[in-house]
Amino acid sequence: MAEQQEISIWFFCGILMLAYGVVLVATGLTEIHHPPPTVLAELQPTLWWGVLLSLFGGFYTIRFRPGKG
Amino acid sequence: MFLFSGQQLTKLSPVDVLILVLYFALVVFIGFYAKGKANTSEDFFLAGREMTAWIAGLSFVSANLGSLELMGWAGSAYQYGILAAHWYWIGAIPAMLFLGIVMMPFYYISKTHSVPGYLHLRFGEGARALSAVSFALMTILMSGVNMYAMAVVMQTILGWNITFSIWVGAGTVALYVMLGGLRSAIINEVLQFVLIWAGAAMIPILGLIEAGGWTKLKAQIAVNVGSSDYTHMWTTLGHFSSNPMGVHWTGIVFGLGFVISFGYWTTDFLVVQRVLSANNLRAAKMAPVIGAAFKMAVPFIVIVPGLLALAVLKNADGSTMHLVASNIAKGNPGLHSYDEVLPLMLIRYCGPGLLGLGITALVAGFMSGMAGNVSAFSTVWTYDIYGAFINKRASDSHYVAMGRWSTVIGMLVSIMTAYLVMNANSIMDYVQALFSFFIAPLFGTVILGMMWKRASHAGGFWGLLAGTASSIGMFLWVQTDSSALRYIAMSPDAKPMAENLYRALWSWVICVVVTVVVSLVTKPVPRAELAGLVYGVTPIPDDGATSIWQKPIFWACVVITIFFVLNLIFW
Repeated sequence: MAEQQEISIWFFCGILMLAYGVVLVATGLTEIHHPPPTVLAELQPTLWWGVLLSLFGGFYTIRFRPGKG
Repeated sequence: MFLFSGQQLTKLSPVDVLILVLYFALVVFIGFYAKGKANTSEDFFLAGREMTAWIAGLSFVSANLGSLELMGWAGSAYQYGILAAHWYWIGAIPAMLFLGIVMMPFYYISKTHSVPGYLHLRFGEGARALSAVSFALMTILMSGVNMYAMAVVMQTILGWNITFSIWVGAGTVALYVMLGGLRSAIINEVLQFVLIWAGAAMIPILGLIEAGGWTKLKAQIAVNVGSSDYTHMWTTLGHFSSNPMGVHWTGIVFGLGFVISFGYWTTDFLVVQRVLSANNLRAAKMAPVIGAAFKMAVPFIVIVPGLLALAVLKNADGSTMHLVASNIAKGNPGLHSYDEVLPLMLIRYCGPGLLGLGITALVAGFMSGMAGNVSAFSTVWTYDIYGAFINKRASDSHYVAMGRWSTVIGMLVSIMTAYLVMNANSIMDYVQALFSFFIAPLFGTVILGMMWKRASHAGGFWGLLAGTASSIGMFLWVQTDSSALRYIAMSPDAKPMAENLYRALWSWVICVVVTVVVSLVTKPVPRAELAGLVYGVTPIPDDGATSIWQKPIFWACVVITIFFVLNLIFW
């Protein structure tokens, strides 16, 4: 998007994924000793998916943060 | 209890609710943020024509990635096997590339604001009026159907009250589209695309781990359904009776791959509008190519879960779960319908947090579908109906205000449609069928308009009218006499799915024949009026690509090669 001072669409994507990643990591940590009654819960999918989303979201949040130019 | 009603598949934990609330908060924020940048009609209806190829491309593919579509095709994959992937590959990729490489230059350099707007420039007021009125009516009805579908899904999965879901979903969408126009809709569509992958990708990943990989999955499906037909895309299409879908390869290639796909992806304004927002010609050509690349990956999160369900879904007693048609599941609490396959798989693998992410992805898909319909409606209403026939000389700010008001009124009509569908479910099938009436003939009209100089104003109008009328006629024929299907699909073994494919093919042929015949006996359009609209009279400006990596045609070749390889792998 052309104008200056504009918030990039990628920043919106990044910040949402980062927030979700943090929430999932926190949830995943609490599930280590109390896994939910789902199939393959022993693989800790919530924790690992949270880590992945945090990395993805963190990268986009920093890379496209407002004012970076 | 206003919020909850009836029985439900699962319930949300506080962390799931937090994820959902975060999404709603961001969506509303984006609406207010985009409002400050939607001052002129170009800003409001075409997002200022300043989107990059990536944004326009993701928005283009996302506008079609509604939850109704995701859940419906996951259910179809369970019902018909991997044949359902044809709707994502041959039913989309060639048409998307054709739009980018061949058609986009004409849409873009004509500076049209809509597909009916192009018809106006090429064929005059008659074709524009016919196309605009039918499109406006259909989009608003489709938005209502989408709204009702969302409410039913939320009721089934979470037990939410239907009225609550309809008003919250519609209110949020109306707010952000009214405030920010197409820019707001596009930002949310890109966000939704990322969210859908974040929310749904865990299902095929964990499913394939549980099944032991693709080869073991195929073997298990063959054992469970007693046939290996469910995992082949082409080998079973030699005869109508040799595949679960009851279709023939000619219907898939010509009906779906040519007419329906090209009609939808190249002339449905809902998707074309996203590409028109591109910031230059090269971006406008690249956007559908980028969209096609991502579209090819969608079967991983839609078709694979449907196939996995055939292998891994079990009842509480450990026996294989069998899903049934929705009319059978209704009223039988122990049974689940085909369309519930995605939520069932979500619940199987996703605990608190991941479940909230999956549900949020579904909600985002529904809202994005509604926003796509309502933003396209407000553009066509304001430019091609109100501005063309009711008030031609209003100021730019007046048209922006009309765009905002038509968004709200369109949404209210959609809500009324949702309640209408709630009271008479069969209306849903009719509305979905109605949409297909216009798309196939419209493609005939637009493609002749772009490629054939001799196509006249009268030819365009009468061809479009004849194609649409014949499509409606065939639909009514089969509705009143089901044996008519054998004539339309040219086989007594054809099943209902084949009707859509062949009806589209015939209505396109009729549109083309009538357009050609009428054009040849009526006055041609002067050559000077065709500049910028028709191949052969329009010098295509250079798109500014300086290296092979920047050329849309190069990337289109890469995408089509991968497309062929995928079809061969799953042959």
